[in-house]
Amino acid sequence: MLRIGASRLLQHGGRHAAVVSAARTQSSAPDKIEVFIDDMPVMVPPGTTVLQAAAQAGVEIPRFCYHERLSVAGNCRMCLVEVEKSVKPVAACAMPVMKGWRIKTDSEMTRKAREGDQSMAFGSDRSRFLENKRAVEDKNIGPLVKTIMTRCIHCTRCVRFATEIAGVEDLGTTGRGTNMEIGTYVEKMLLSELSGNVIDLCPVGALTSKPYAFTARPWEIRRTDSVDVMDAVGSNIVVNHRTGEVLRILPQVNEDINEEWLSDKSRFAYDGLKRQRLVYPMVKDSDGELRPCEWEDALIVAAKALKAADGSVAAIAGGLADAEALVALKDLVFPDAGTGTDLRSSYLLNTKIVGVEEADMIVFVGANPRFEAPLFNTRVRKAWTYNELHAAMIGPDVNLTYDCEHLGDDASIIGKLLDGSHPFSQRLTAAKRPMIVVGTSLLARPDGDVLYAQLLQLSQKLRSSCEGGSEWRVFNILHRVASQVAALDLGYTPGVADIRNNPPKVLYLMGADEGAITREDLPKDTLVIYQGHHGDQGAEMADVVLPGAAYTEKTATYVNMEGRAQQTQAALVPPGMAREDWKIIRALSEIVDTRLPYDKLNDIRNRLAEVSPNLTRYGDVEEANYFAQATALAEMVSGKKGAAPIDVPQKKLEDFYMTNSITRASPTMAKCIAAVKKEAANKYIE
Amino acid sequence: MALRLSTSLLSQLSRVGRLQGRAVSTSAVRYVDDLTVKQVEPKDTKSILASEEVQHQKAISGYITIDTPVDITPISGVPEEHIKTRRVVIKLPSKNAMQWRLFFDERERWENPLMGWSSTADPLSNIQVDFSSQEDAIAFCDKNGWEWTVVDPPVKPPRVKNYGANFSWNKRTRRSTK
Amino acid sequence: MASRLARSTVRQVKPLLSIDQGEARKRVLNLYKAWYRQIPYIVVDYDLPKSKEQCRQKLREEFEKHRHVQDIRTVDMLVIKGQMELKETVEIWKQKHGLMAYWRDSVEPRPKDFLSKFLDGHE
Repeated sequence: MLRIGASRLLQHGGRHAAVVSAARTQSSAPDKIEVFIDDMPVMVPPGTTVLQAAAQAGVEIPRFCYHERLSVAGNCRMCLVEVEKSVKPVAACAMPVMKGWRIKTDSEMTRKAREGDQSMAFGSDRSRFLENKRAVEDKNIGPLVKTIMTRCIHCTRCVRFATEIAGVEDLGTTGRGTNMEIGTYVEKMLLSELSGNVIDLCPVGALTSKPYAFTARPWEIRRTDSVDVMDAVGSNIVVNHRTGEVLRILPQVNEDINEEWLSDKSRFAYDGLKRQRLVYPMVKDSDGELRPCEWEDALIVAAKALKAADGSVAAIAGGLADAEALVALKDLVFPDAGTGTDLRSSYLLNTKIVGVEEADMIVFVGANPRFEAPLFNTRVRKAWTYNELHAAMIGPDVNLTYDCEHLGDDASIIGKLLDGSHPFSQRLTAAKRPMIVVGTSLLARPDGDVLYAQLLQLSQKLRSSCEGGSEWRVFNILHRVASQVAALDLGYTPGVADIRNNPPKVLYLMGADEGAITREDLPKDTLVIYQGHHGDQGAEMADVVLPGAAYTEKTATYVNMEGRAQQTQAALVPPGMAREDWKIIRALSEIVDTRLPYDKLNDIRNRLAEVSPNLTRYGDVEEANYFAQATALAEMVSGKKGAAPIDVPQKKLEDFYMTNSITRASPTMAKCIAAVKKEAANKYIE
Repeated sequence: MALRLSTSLLSQLSRVGRLQGRAVSTSAVRYVDDLTVKQVEPKDTKSILASEEVQHQKAISGYITIDTPVDITPISGVPEEHIKTRRVVIKLPSKNAMQWRLFFDERERWENPLMGWSSTADPLSNIQVDFSSQEDAIAFCDKNGWEWTVVDPPVKPPRVKNYGANFSWNKRTRRSTK
Repeated sequence: MASRLARSTVRQVKPLLSIDQGEARKRVLNLYKAWYRQIPYIVVDYDLPKSKEQCRQKLREEFEKHRHVQDIRTVDMLVIKGQMELKETVEIWKQKHGLMAYWRDSVEPRPKDFLSKFLDGHE
């Protein structure tokens, strides 16, 4: 069956690729010019640099400082090449090609120019200390990035990354020539949620990973491509592992999602996968203590309770639950429930992550993209830098790393924008391609539905008047957890108010560790079943614990905030007696006597496709366009607006690191928080 | 004991094997008592073969037409549990790769308690096969009975790079210092 | 399986031993007969704790295992392998336990259904 899925994937992949390239080539100039790289003719658009033209001809010019996603620095001089009729060699990375240029990448002059680089030919190979042996003191820039500054060749990639992409001006250079040093000017931490990327950028290993240092050699490592679940962005990652242990996580290039970056939480929280794990099933004994037991015992206790509950069962899914487990749980607990609670376009990031690059106005409402979805924020910053995007914020005045007009945190601003009485309205309606990005914390407010309805109406109003036309989507939701979109696609409803109002006899927690429901909310006789991978808040209040698999241990489907289904690949097997999550529910269903009809991964994926076909179209975003209907529904919503100001849960960098059970178990994340808090006491920082 | 085996099959097999010069069967071995004596081959093999045998020989050196799917799982020697349960991802391994490669799903690994060596019971864990085309990779997976998925190579958007942007006076691309 | 069949097309391939289905079938039957006739001697030579009938039943089982194979070349290769096996057996290059392994008496059967596999740790 996957064969069909696979061929479908191919078709979709192809179509999708065509759409992307069409969108991107619109702006490029029509005429191409001809240049010759080592006598090979190449046609390139004007403005192309020598280095890019050579790459197009298949010639890789060596470089240290040039990086395709950073600004051109031109300071390492490694990419110097000879151009015919030019007296001096030219820096290939900075020089745009001219018509008819003949570039020689392997001539005598080019080779000589390359040797000018001091790292290639300098000093005696016998250690006699005849020359001044240059050494640079290592710097402490926090618990994530280790520095070995003597290796540094001053390519300034890290400096450019920090200022251009991370948007923090912490790194810079001091001194000139031999005395030049990269550093933070005064001893301080690199305060960024993206700091780990400088490790990948560094061409010489002057900046390396502190947690990974000296743990393994690259040739001992096995690599498994997977998807990150620390936030709802769905960054593509490569899990590096050896003998059942994750050793590091690196980003994988995906132009539509994370480009080639990765947030620090996704990159460094892996050590949480080894700690606080649930490795065997547990059942509470008569003393109220959780005792390890066999799978059979735990499943029987859970099944008995489920049967005795006679339908009075509720389930809460946590932020790390995968789509397979979610659909199995739904089929077990609510076999008769319908699918899809909402119009899909009402809960997605409809413009997509790449779509931000076309927007000229973005308004955040109760969202802090910098910490809720760091890689979405880098896109916004990219658009802000290159496309003059105007950003505005309704909510607390947080630092988003770029200029953001703060409109206030009063909830009434939304109403004023809708009726046009707010001073910002004029600017908003004048925008050609506006985006409204709504945080999920706003929707959790008691008056969330009223505000949500108003925002939908505002978006539809803007959409009908903006230049982008019907193709342009204004309304966007910024999700914070990886499971959210898949759960909504499968018919889960947000919020736990129902459970609080009518407490069930059995409560099934599928990795729900955020304390939405506590033991105090439930009557004493409610049996709590917890299924998950970490001993956190959920397992603490449970009567039966079923150990599940973490995201590196299962081949599972996750849908990101755009609605893009992606799959994690199992790099390891679950530890101890833990099992893949959907299999636990499948086994439980057999003991409850309602055998679920899937035994294999493909079977359950067919079931996923049956409920919502987009869930198995991996890598693809299914278009959703029901704004008119959603607005019509929104107009029916009425209720009272609260007076509380709009707030976001994560305001400062220390709020970023611990957001789920894996990160809470991670010593590295704890170190980060400690370091950031300590940094607040640094007298050099205002 | 070999005498008991003088069935038509054996003789047929060994003859075919010898005539084709292919190592298809161990039974194609000829036993020679004295290796110093030069063995005399019949000068014209065709003269001693019946006409239908000549025809068969001709046919076997050419091509045959089949319309059945290729399935080598009964003869590949791969255990059944590693045919029916394995999933393969076919993709280009990294940025500049030219070869399609198979990636098998990971199976359990454990550390040797004495030496700390990494162990696995997975016979396919170290298989690395590259293919010049996606179709070849798919055909290979098909005939080995593995379930496959193809991941398309990413599309790389063109990027405009401009040194002058660092110094523009009215754009946000201006860089102050480094 | 259906989709896999749909993918197969008529094409030209290099033959192994047989040039058509009929010939391949003949070879299979020949091999079967050779084994069948050899079984009484094998039982005696190896002093197998099995009767002729049991051995012949096992022989049939082993052939039935590949009843679904359609590709002429795969059939040929299976015949070649079966031929090698027969040769090894007849020449007593094998040992008794090697033949007894066909009955898998000492092999613990692996659980088949989902729940047993789950509880056993294989799923």
